[in-house]
Amino acid sequence: MAFNRKQIIRGLLVCVLFFSLSAAAFADAKVLARWSQTKSFKSDLGSELDVRATYYSAEYIEALVKQEAEKNLWTENETEQYKYQLLSGLSLDEYIPIHIEFDNRGPSMHLAPFDSFLTLWAGKNKLTPADFDKRFNFGFQGKRDGLVFFPRYDKKGKSYLEGVKTIRFAMAGAISSVTINLSTIDFVWDVARDNPEALYKGRAAARLELDRLIKRIEKLNAEKRDLEGKLSELNAELDTITHRVEELQRQ
Amino acid sequence: MKKILALVAVVALVAFAAPAFANVNPFMDVPMNHWAYDAIGQLAARGVLSGYPDGTYKGNQPMTRYEAASAVARALAVVDMTKASKQDVEMLKRLVVEFKDELDALGVKVDKIDSRLAVIEERLGGWKLWGEFRFDAKFGGNDNMTDPALYGTSGANQFNISRYRIWMRKYIDDKVTFTARIRENRRDNATRTERGLAFDRYYIDVKFPWDITATIGMSLHDWEGDDGLYTDNDAMFTDRSYRGFYFDKPFAMGNFAFYVSRPDEIGAADGTTEPGFRSPIEHYEIGARAKFNFNEQLWLSLNGIMRKYDSNVLTSLNGAGVEKEDEHVYWAAAGVNFTPSIALKAAYYGQEVQVGDTVGTETPKSFQAIVDVKQDALKFTSLWAEYRSFDENFKAWTDGPWDNYGAAVTGTNLGALYDNAIFFKLNQKWTDQWSTFQRYLIANARNEIAGVSDNTTNWTFGVKYNYTPGLSFELVYDKIENAQTVVNNDDSLIRFRTHIAF
Repeated sequence: MAFNRKQIIRGLLVCVLFFSLSAAAFADAKVLARWSQTKSFKSDLGSELDVRATYYSAEYIEALVKQEAEKNLWTENETEQYKYQLLSGLSLDEYIPIHIEFDNRGPSMHLAPFDSFLTLWAGKNKLTPADFDKRFNFGFQGKRDGLVFFPRYDKKGKSYLEGVKTIRFAMAGAISSVTINLSTIDFVWDVARDNPEALYKGRAAARLELDRLIKRIEKLNAEKRDLEGKLSELNAELDTITHRVEELQRQ
Repeated sequence: MKKILALVAVVALVAFAAPAFANVNPFMDVPMNHWAYDAIGQLAARGVLSGYPDGTYKGNQPMTRYEAASAVARALAVVDMTKASKQDVEMLKRLVVEFKDELDALGVKVDKIDSRLAVIEERLGGWKLWGEFRFDAKFGGNDNMTDPALYGTSGANQFNISRYRIWMRKYIDDKVTFTARIRENRRDNATRTERGLAFDRYYIDVKFPWDITATIGMSLHDWEGDDGLYTDNDAMFTDRSYRGFYFDKPFAMGNFAFYVSRPDEIGAADGTTEPGFRSPIEHYEIGARAKFNFNEQLWLSLNGIMRKYDSNVLTSLNGAGVEKEDEHVYWAAAGVNFTPSIALKAAYYGQEVQVGDTVGTETPKSFQAIVDVKQDALKFTSLWAEYRSFDENFKAWTDGPWDNYGAAVTGTNLGALYDNAIFFKLNQKWTDQWSTFQRYLIANARNEIAGVSDNTTNWTFGVKYNYTPGLSFELVYDKIENAQTVVNNDDSLIRFRTHIAF
């Protein structure tokens, strides 16, 4: 059976497309693996613990959104909706979120207060969690996962990540008897080239900006109401005093 | 997405919203002799309840039930956890139960309060307990009568609870935590027929200024484990319990550690080093370490441990003995992570050991290189490939690095017996429940003498089933040939292990 030129070219195109897609999928998998790292531990008695920590870099979020869209065969709208919900939940404009996942096949882990076991080193700044999934405070065996939020900005509004090349997320070894002999469980990420701003493009970004502006309007309105209340109190007090002064003057 | 929604749900569940102040009921419906007055008053007096923005609670003045509930709710929102005791939490719970309907009406869900109280209780609720034990059915190949029984299975077969441990921890306050562990006591009994309970960990962790944490008491730190330098049992120099003071100072990309310890088993005659229980000879042990993570790919650690013996400690190498020389071990370890799943690790050890009364001290070296590939990379299996070389007289302090199933495969006199060793371990996780693993070791004898000494080999095949996260079963076949280079020092073992954790 002989192939004609068209068939050969078509075949080659299919191959090129296949390898391009495979290469792209491989690149995405590499990105996902880089920012979502797993450490496995085993005790001398046979207990096992897997700890996965995920840093939400811009390229990780893009790869995750793409992966979910491909997996679920989403339309562009559905993809944008997913991205919007993901970004809203992560609050990247306020926090540095890290997702933690435990698979504990060993003695119960008692992590309360969970924030006391966690540190994020960003340059010389030692950050403690601003918020975290409270389920971590309850003892558990098996799987448990949730988000931990570290502050992104200092009191002056300067980003903790500004000028920082590498961050270290340290979890105390005392989280589990499997790791209790270790100082810390470290997750290290080079964040110098991460650019969260790049995420804020498209319709999802517009919706997020709208959310922010609505929140800001609400805040300003509350301040306005507060000031108006104070002003009316002052006016009432002035009226009372003026009234009393007039009474005294009449006597 | 589910994770985000779950987080939002949990935050909403646990977060405590201060309720809007209720409409004031003109009728004072909480009688003045009601226990709630006392309860709220006592909590306020002890400083547990504070911060009533609208002054809802005004001491012993008549209250409506809504006012009382509001006082409880508002106060709970700002409860000072550092001042609350177990009794206070109980009292708060009673108040919550008493004013459940009013709290519901105020828009405060009682189950949310329960969650909050549970969090508070977790934080200060006394002791946290956890533990594990394992039950082994061992079928040894040899009977110790005509052939050596290397796994300690005298009589060839054995059923026993090989180990059990119960941990306890008390969060004392923000700065101090107490931790202890009870296990079976194997002290002073080489045959281990006499057993009992003993604390083999009891220490406090204290947070000091300048971000220094001290561990004081009987504890254990495993620096080789920190660097991932072994996968089996055991570390060569750390992973031993000690009595002493351990200090840790973290910095941005690593940490410094320092410790000083001293065994307190004065007069212990037994020279066997049973971690945590026996001190063969009196000495101070001083260790220091610095670990640096340069970036995602590179790390380096520098470590040193010195043993300084008391002046009255003599070597036992001849009848008279001479004063024992101090011993040291130093090592540098480094790693390159090509990807999060593929790493190359290496370590170089230098040791100063006394090898005889007349020979004096020697400084043997050892080199170790590891390729560590996780299953993520190869998909079907993980791979640990390790090479170690030893100078003559190099000696491990803790255990032999591959003495994994209760037999001394190589023992600790590594340099005296071997030139080098190559070790492979593969692990395949098939599902969340099922996994299999294989091990292979060949340790090349330093002096091969026909019929007397030869290379040691050890191989293993195992399968593990996690029935629940707390219960697993493991079936292992292990085979040793020429243990510690002694020809025909062979044995094999089939072991069925039940491991329970709670």
